Amino acid sequence: MLARVANNLFWMGRYIERSEYIARYLNVNYFSSLDAPHPLSQSRQFVLRSMLFMMGQPVSDPDLELDEEEVFFDITFNEENPFSLINNVNYARDNANSSRDQMSTELYESINKFYHAVQNYPVEFFKKKGLYDFTVYVTEMTAVLRGKIRGTILHDEIYAIIMLGINLERATQIVRIINAKYNDAKLAKGSYGDAFRNSYEWTTLLKCGESYDMHRRLNKKAPNSISTLNFMLLNAQNPKSVMNCLNQVYNHILVLDSSLINDKSTVKFYIGKIRSEYEFKIATEIEDDIQENIDDLLNKLTIISQKIEEEYFNY
Amino acid sequence: MKLNTSHPIFSAYKKNPKLFDEIFNKNGEVKQIYTKLFELYGGLSVEDFVNLNDKAKASFFNQGITFQVYSEAKQKEKIFPFDLFPRIIAPDEWQTIEKGAIQRSKALNLFLWDIYHDKKILKQGIVPVSLLSSSVNYLDQMMDLDPPGGIYNHVSGTDLIKHSDGKYYVLEDNIRCPSGVSYVISNRTALKRALFGVFNHYRTHSVTDYAENLLDILESVKPHGVDQPTCVVLTPGMYNSAYYEHSYLAKSMGVELVEGRDLYVENNFVYMKTIKGPERVDVIYRRIDDHFLDPFEFMPDSSLGVPGLFSVYRQGNVCIVNAPGTGAADDKAIYTFMPEIIKYYLGEEPILNNVQTYHCSKPDQLQYVLENIPDLVVKPVDEAGGYGISIGNRLTKQQIQEVKDQIKANPRKYIAQPIMSLSVHATYIEDSHSFEQRHIDLRTFTLLGKDKEFVLKGGLTRVALQKGNLIVNSSQGGGSKDTWVLKK
Repeated sequence: MLARVANNLFWMGRYIERSEYIARYLNVNYFSSLDAPHPLSQSRQFVLRSMLFMMGQPVSDPDLELDEEEVFFDITFNEENPFSLINNVNYARDNANSSRDQMSTELYESINKFYHAVQNYPVEFFKKKGLYDFTVYVTEMTAVLRGKIRGTILHDEIYAIIMLGINLERATQIVRIINAKYNDAKLAKGSYGDAFRNSYEWTTLLKCGESYDMHRRLNKKAPNSISTLNFMLLNAQNPKSVMNCLNQVYNHILVLDSSLINDKSTVKFYIGKIRSEYEFKIATEIEDDIQENIDDLLNKLTIISQKIEEEYFNY
Repeated sequence: MKLNTSHPIFSAYKKNPKLFDEIFNKNGEVKQIYTKLFELYGGLSVEDFVNLNDKAKASFFNQGITFQVYSEAKQKEKIFPFDLFPRIIAPDEWQTIEKGAIQRSKALNLFLWDIYHDKKILKQGIVPVSLLSSSVNYLDQMMDLDPPGGIYNHVSGTDLIKHSDGKYYVLEDNIRCPSGVSYVISNRTALKRALFGVFNHYRTHSVTDYAENLLDILESVKPHGVDQPTCVVLTPGMYNSAYYEHSYLAKSMGVELVEGRDLYVENNFVYMKTIKGPERVDVIYRRIDDHFLDPFEFMPDSSLGVPGLFSVYRQGNVCIVNAPGTGAADDKAIYTFMPEIIKYYLGEEPILNNVQTYHCSKPDQLQYVLENIPDLVVKPVDEAGGYGISIGNRLTKQQIQEVKDQIKANPRKYIAQPIMSLSVHATYIEDSHSFEQRHIDLRTFTLLGKDKEFVLKGGLTRVALQKGNLIVNSSQGGGSKDTWVLKK
């Protein structure tokens, strides 16, 4: 496979996954805030700030009055904002275009259809009352795309590269959500016992990762900081957990690098090392200094991505 | 416009008796070959048809079978308009076309070998030397170079029309990077999806075997000493208007679609950069023009090509398809000598007709052209895509004067031909919700390899969608039709 095409496929996977997390973050935060227990969690301004923080565009001025429609537009359909959802979809399709000879017609057609649907979405309708419809559409389409990836292309190097992109992006988004919600939980504390640990924001966090029901099934109680961090970071059975993503990333890198000698300079070695580290982590240790752990993990995910680029896409 | 959905789809069809209609004979009756099709379509209401038409359009859009129009402020994706009423070609008619297309391709190949080797045809005065010495597409670099397998024009697109006399004429030979073949295949796919019922009534040749034949041809011209050649398709990139076709061809042959930046030259071989390091490339089906191929040899600021590629080609270590320099043989001035070229190399009479052509480079013919512009089509010899063409009977007095001045300023640049009347075919027109007569042509695709030849049984029927317009190119608002070649 061409190095350039591999690069395109990797980023196609990342942008598809990223679109999903942006859409779900908007959806979950907006709708769970409507009847949230803490007055702050219910506040429009609080929710909008959380959204912008998650997008990597935090608002530092505490007095700034944000306009709901403007923020929604900025995050979704503003093509001048490089991080906007519509640009993510554009990038995903651009990357698919330059590698379309490698993928199945079915996969390409779905991406292309998705692109046209987002391009032609009635923006005014979205601003006024389309938030739910649109964000649900995006999350469903990304699931369709993953289905086409899994079900219509050869599970060879091409698949491995797309899945590397998807899983690295998923791990990154989950950590970013934890980061955003950790900040929210510090402000909007719970009403009983350890106020921080019992914040409603942990519930929102799980919902942003499509993990609330499964957390409930496993733990049989309302989420707190420890159970949430455990579930989202360390539980390998949870398909959305960082641990699960790291396992998958490791399996896919083995498809690209099947050498038996463990060369310590390879990205395979590095991924294996991080994976082992997280296999033996304990949630309470992470909770002791959440921010530092988040920063450290984000940094390591970035290094994995960079090392993949250096080793496979550099041309 | 409010739709009257009850009237049948053909009720508004107006037949201009001066034009050659592919479907109706002179008495206004449906020709036998179209009877079944006409019955099937005639039964549809306008509303049925509008639905089908919309479905076909959406299918093209979602498949990403689109192109971009040049010289627009914001590049916009457009669908190549597709007409649901197919064009049918009878078996005997097709045989002539097929034989004629192969004959022309072979003659052009021999001509190219000659003009880049001994130049016998020029020395014997059959084709004037001045035509080649003044041609911008003649590449001195190709002199005495033997392309692998002795083939120059592996892929040829021959543009044919049917004149009002009912005969086919060749309008031009395209032997640089002829495009359009992917539309032949996607048109068929779209028509099958929309109107699968009609195929039961006709025995039509398949068009899906093009890619496997192309790969055969590419492999037949592998460099000496290579057993299993690695073939690639070289594209300028995803912003090129024919990118869909490039990706389609690569995908359907199962080979890599590369850009110039994916290739490099080392120790006289061409390599592509893969995730596992370099891999040698033996045959390049390039879809970029000669001048962009290699900045060391041609345009120094080209970023689309591969530095050093031509020197590898010269060594015989890679095959470039089509060979560089084929443009010297497909310009409109050489076209006019095609009957002589065919006779000279093959000792045969041309199977397909040439249109009578006047060379403005010859003083007597120049005089005739200047005096008869209203009856002629004036074309620049080296422009592609239908640009720069003046149709005499459409010009105002002032425009005629302008054309005259242009010709006088640079006679070598122009040729003129009688205004040919392209045949017309029933075509669905969205604005009027009915079928109307529109002019059509036909591009056939011929492959030439070492001891192999192939003509795609089908072709691209292009339609000039504007009423009365004779220019069918997609860049000028043309559409296309599925083309059925019937089995015997």
